[in-house]
Amino acid sequence: MRKGLIFVSSIVIMIPFLTACWNQKELTDLAFVMAMGVDKGKEKKFEVSFQIVNPGNVAPGQIGGGQGLPIAVYKSTGDTLTEAARAATKKVSRRLYYAHTNLVIISDDVAKKDLLLLLDAMDRDPEFRTTTELIIAKGKTRAEDLVSALTILDKLPVNKITKEIQSTEKMLGENMSINIDDFITNLISKGREPILNGYKVVGKIDKVNQAVNLKKTTTDAYLAADGLAVFKDGKLRGWINNNNARGVLWILNKVEGTGINLTWKDMKNAISIALIRSKTKVSAQFKGGKPMINVKIENEGWVSEVNTAIDLTNPKEIEKIESILMEETKKQILTSVKKAQKLKVDIFGFGEKIHLENPKRWKMLQKNWDEEFSKLQVNVEVESYIRREGIRTKPFWSEFSK
Amino acid sequence: MLILSKILKTKRKKRQDDNIRQKLDPNLPKDLPILRSSQDNIVRLKEELGKSSDVVIREFKGSNYQGALVFIDGLVDNKVIMDFLLEPLIDTKPLPERVDIFQYLKEHAVAAGSISTIENWNQIYDNLFSGNTVIFIDGYNKAISAETKGWEKRSISNPTTQLSIRGPQDAFTETLRTNTALIRRRIKSPNLWIETMKIGKVSQTDTAILYIKGIANEKIVEEVRKRLNRINIDELLESGYIEQLIEDQSWTTFPTTYHTERPDVVVSQLVEGRVAIVVDGSPFVITAPAIFIQFFQAPDDYYSRFDISTGIRLLRIIAFLIALIGPSTYIAATTFHQEMIPTTLVIAIAAQRENVPFPAFVEALIMEVTFEILREAGLRLPRTVGQAVSIVGALVIGQAAVQAGIVSPIMVIVVSITAIANFSTPVFAMAIAARLLRFVLMGLATILGFYGMMLGLMFMSIHLCSIRSFGVPYMMPLAPFNIRNQQDVFVRFPIWQFTNRPPFISKGNIARIGQNQKPGPPDPHDDRSKGEKS
Amino acid sequence: MTLGSGDQMEQTKINATQLFVLVVLFEMGSAILVGLGTNAKQDAWLAILLGLVGGLLVFLVYYRLYLYYQDLPFTSYVQKIVGKWMGRLIGLMYVVYFMYCAARVLRDFGELLLSTIYTNTPLIVINCLMMLTIIYATYKGLEVFARVGELYFLVVYLIAVAGFILILASGLIHISNLKPILENGIMPVVKTALGETLNFPFGEMVVFTMILPHLNESKKVKLVCLSGIALSGINIVITTIVNITALGTDLFERANFPLLSTISKIQLANFIERLDVLFMLYLVVGGFFKITIFFYAAVTGAGDIFKMKSQRKLGFPIGVIVLFASVTIASNYAEHIKEGLDIVPLYLHWPFQIIIPSLLLVIAFFRNRKKNPRSSKEMNKDV
Repeated sequence: MRKGLIFVSSIVIMIPFLTACWNQKELTDLAFVMAMGVDKGKEKKFEVSFQIVNPGNVAPGQIGGGQGLPIAVYKSTGDTLTEAARAATKKVSRRLYYAHTNLVIISDDVAKKDLLLLLDAMDRDPEFRTTTELIIAKGKTRAEDLVSALTILDKLPVNKITKEIQSTEKMLGENMSINIDDFITNLISKGREPILNGYKVVGKIDKVNQAVNLKKTTTDAYLAADGLAVFKDGKLRGWINNNNARGVLWILNKVEGTGINLTWKDMKNAISIALIRSKTKVSAQFKGGKPMINVKIENEGWVSEVNTAIDLTNPKEIEKIESILMEETKKQILTSVKKAQKLKVDIFGFGEKIHLENPKRWKMLQKNWDEEFSKLQVNVEVESYIRREGIRTKPFWSEFSK
Repeated sequence: MLILSKILKTKRKKRQDDNIRQKLDPNLPKDLPILRSSQDNIVRLKEELGKSSDVVIREFKGSNYQGALVFIDGLVDNKVIMDFLLEPLIDTKPLPERVDIFQYLKEHAVAAGSISTIENWNQIYDNLFSGNTVIFIDGYNKAISAETKGWEKRSISNPTTQLSIRGPQDAFTETLRTNTALIRRRIKSPNLWIETMKIGKVSQTDTAILYIKGIANEKIVEEVRKRLNRINIDELLESGYIEQLIEDQSWTTFPTTYHTERPDVVVSQLVEGRVAIVVDGSPFVITAPAIFIQFFQAPDDYYSRFDISTGIRLLRIIAFLIALIGPSTYIAATTFHQEMIPTTLVIAIAAQRENVPFPAFVEALIMEVTFEILREAGLRLPRTVGQAVSIVGALVIGQAAVQAGIVSPIMVIVVSITAIANFSTPVFAMAIAARLLRFVLMGLATILGFYGMMLGLMFMSIHLCSIRSFGVPYMMPLAPFNIRNQQDVFVRFPIWQFTNRPPFISKGNIARIGQNQKPGPPDPHDDRSKGEKS
Repeated sequence: MTLGSGDQMEQTKINATQLFVLVVLFEMGSAILVGLGTNAKQDAWLAILLGLVGGLLVFLVYYRLYLYYQDLPFTSYVQKIVGKWMGRLIGLMYVVYFMYCAARVLRDFGELLLSTIYTNTPLIVINCLMMLTIIYATYKGLEVFARVGELYFLVVYLIAVAGFILILASGLIHISNLKPILENGIMPVVKTALGETLNFPFGEMVVFTMILPHLNESKKVKLVCLSGIALSGINIVITTIVNITALGTDLFERANFPLLSTISKIQLANFIERLDVLFMLYLVVGGFFKITIFFYAAVTGAGDIFKMKSQRKLGFPIGVIVLFASVTIASNYAEHIKEGLDIVPLYLHWPFQIIIPSLLLVIAFFRNRKKNPRSSKEMNKDV
């Protein structure tokens, strides 16, 4: 008993001395990297900018806090991501900590060439979240500009982008949240190609990272989502603009709510419908040895705006609106499909559906899938339901226009 | 170590002279008879008691007899002695002839409730010190002992450490008899057996073992008896002494016997088959065997309805866990597992910790130790000063410490929640175990984060599963698991579901409650209720 | 009930519930953590089911051996079956095998912690602390850690149910990932089942030949063990299905620890995310029981062969050997896994789990038929 006691207690006493630091990291020694931007470098392959949060300036009620800028951006270069990250430690007094990184921004020109060289580092590192959002800086906007941008409403600029994507997915259906995991899964899949959200700075790009920008209610420069980037073989192939983006999301079953303007008796944008629920089912079918895709959508919504005289108390009229809504939805989806077929990129995962439906046939189709896809027949079937029309029955137009 | 204790032993032996040794060691057969002459007896008494001032010796003379009356001042009721002993004895009426004076006086003159004849010397002391009066009659080598107990005692008051909102409000006192009476009043069954023994070489403290014959497991009663008889100690000031001398395992922070100052709790445990030990001079009664979950059962649980008491009991268990792992979770999360804290929260915590110069462990240690000191000081201080301490304490672990930049506000919150959670354990002995282990877990969390904590908890569970209380495994209805005995563990079942006494404690598997005890509205098919309606 | 705190290793008895709990915890132990049957791709769960059926059959072999010698552990009755010296040699081989298995699981366990959270901590420290806990548990005896098992069984199930609900609520399950079933025919599934899932975890039940004599209700052995294996097998299948459906076949194949990847995908209400700790909680519990049972078998086996009176003293030296073996059996994780997948099943698991016990059973059958025909009749009735 005594021997055992001495043994155990000596171990217990020794352990704290042996531990040194190992994996212990105090909060005050960490630099939380909130976002990471990758641009094309001049000498080395990549130029990486790290958005590091300054906790004292973000959290409320701190002594001496809240005055300065919430973030600081550090840049470093490297031929690999690891090299750049390690090189950055020369400039930052704290250990860069990636577990809370919510956003990775890739610039347009990197996405066109070297995107694949970045992914494994983020996928492999246990600290890095694979649920991190991945976006593309579109056009002239550099990733660095997006990383260093300051925003008014959100204290943490990174939230501006991640939350915006989420709310757009819910309310508008033109952007959807895509994280590194999703991207890689789609990348590897034979019957599906990945897409990513595009972002850009609207306004004066050089002002976006200045505090002066925040002193005005109408800022000189702000960030905005813009279209979906389409990838083929891990390289940026082209863009699907905002108008067609909703169609893509519809097929991917990502549209939850959105607003659609409808034409009523030659009057454009006469009715607005707010969709509250939408469900998509995609199935593959073989007809005469040729693959065919059926897209079936069920919409549900309410009338949110009427700018002409329509008697909404009449169920017949509602039925008419429903049929217009169906046509409109169908049109939007088919335009998106055409757009993708023109790019010859199967972003909808139709190939996967065919794989599941008939693995043997798929093996033959697989080799030449891009061509097959561009000629693929896609049938869209929409069922729309309008359930209610807000807290008014007839619009005031019906009296006014008399 | 061994040599030193040997030397001490021999020295101690030398110091004791025969006279004292005889009194201290009850094993010595040397017992003196009572002398015939009461005068001689008085001389011997005075010699052996060293002329202690509280010994009162009153010599008396009757018509044709004389003797002495001995009692200890303060332990006896003086009025009883005056009116019912002394007055009849010095009555000068002549005795009838040809009668045994001793027998006559015993039967006619001594008007006390309980009397007995003493035949040998040591019994005199037993009787004297328990408040009886000893009467020597000249010419007889025996003495009469009359019960005249009547010392100053605290009256029955409210419980001070185990409070309850509903339920009886009386608590045990320091007097053994009062305490057993409080129990007897609640169990009016001849099966409640009370065994008394004296423990303590010097103090000769009365100790009683209580159990209900037929419910209590004889093996456990025998074990309790055996362990109590084993005790060989000078003094017994509190039941805590016994607790430490009879537990199964001393290398544990967890209490393996239960103690309470509430008679209702003791009664409920006796009825479940446990054994109670009452010690004179202590308002705390020990019950055994004790199991882990018992320390989370408060008397209120049984007095309020089952749904409410279940909720409260679960709350208590959660509070115990918080008290155990609260600060260590904070340390592990902020120094090892920052990724598991939501982003906004981790930034808020980081901002708070920005100005704190210490690592999280030291910060937590400072606050926890400060709080423990405050709690301890608050316990010992005179009531009048307590107010001042609590004000200072509130400043120390509150705003001032934060403003001075020593600790972060979140740490203050963690410490406060832990402290409050700790108070919600009904039995102090269990709460203090969590208090102690908390520091161990904090150390482990500093070394290896959650992994260290998990190993610590694993060690703790192995330990908990290995200890026993009077042979009953400590984690009883949980491990070994028994589905039929879960009525009173995490969920307190309705009283009408308490079908059996816990078989691991009581003897056999005896039904506890009759059939069909579930209450309900009157049965419409029942004849009686029909009759009432019409 | 026994009075006094005698936790002697030889006399300890456990009840049927405790045995059941130990079987389940042991079988699930590390099998849930590592990617099981990844060679069969999206049909991994089928391979596991097949392995489960095989495992149940293999257990019947151990059960028949148990019926011949109900009061003896494996290392004792092997001496009765093939003679004293030969038996001792085989027994010793089994002790080494159990030690090796304990070391392997310990290594798995340490690697997991190292490659996820404790990236800078030396392997030996992580393993050493775990080993200390295990030595302590073994020192306290089978009865005590069977009780601990009962406590943690509840905890494990609570965690599992909570985790499952969270995964469902985060919308990670995509049943279509399971399709197409049997894309490449049945052969890859059978191959995986025979070469992997049959031996690990189901064949590892061989370690219970050391524990069965401690059961106080010998009639329930068959029911308890078979249902324990079946339950744990079903749990593993469910976990594998969840992993495949949440990660997709490809990621399921690529992940070192699929369950960890699945759990780290949980995102709920912007608050519940990165629940790796939940995983670690299970890891410590599961790893603990698996290693402890192997270790206990090794310690009691060694004590039995060398006729040691106090087996408690063996715990520490054997523990040190297992600890150092766990660090030195492979120089990196890839090597460790390669050994585990290619070498160990063929050269260790198959002989020790299936071939030797089957041979022993045949010999025991003939021996006992000559000696005591009545007992074998009884046995036949039981089976």
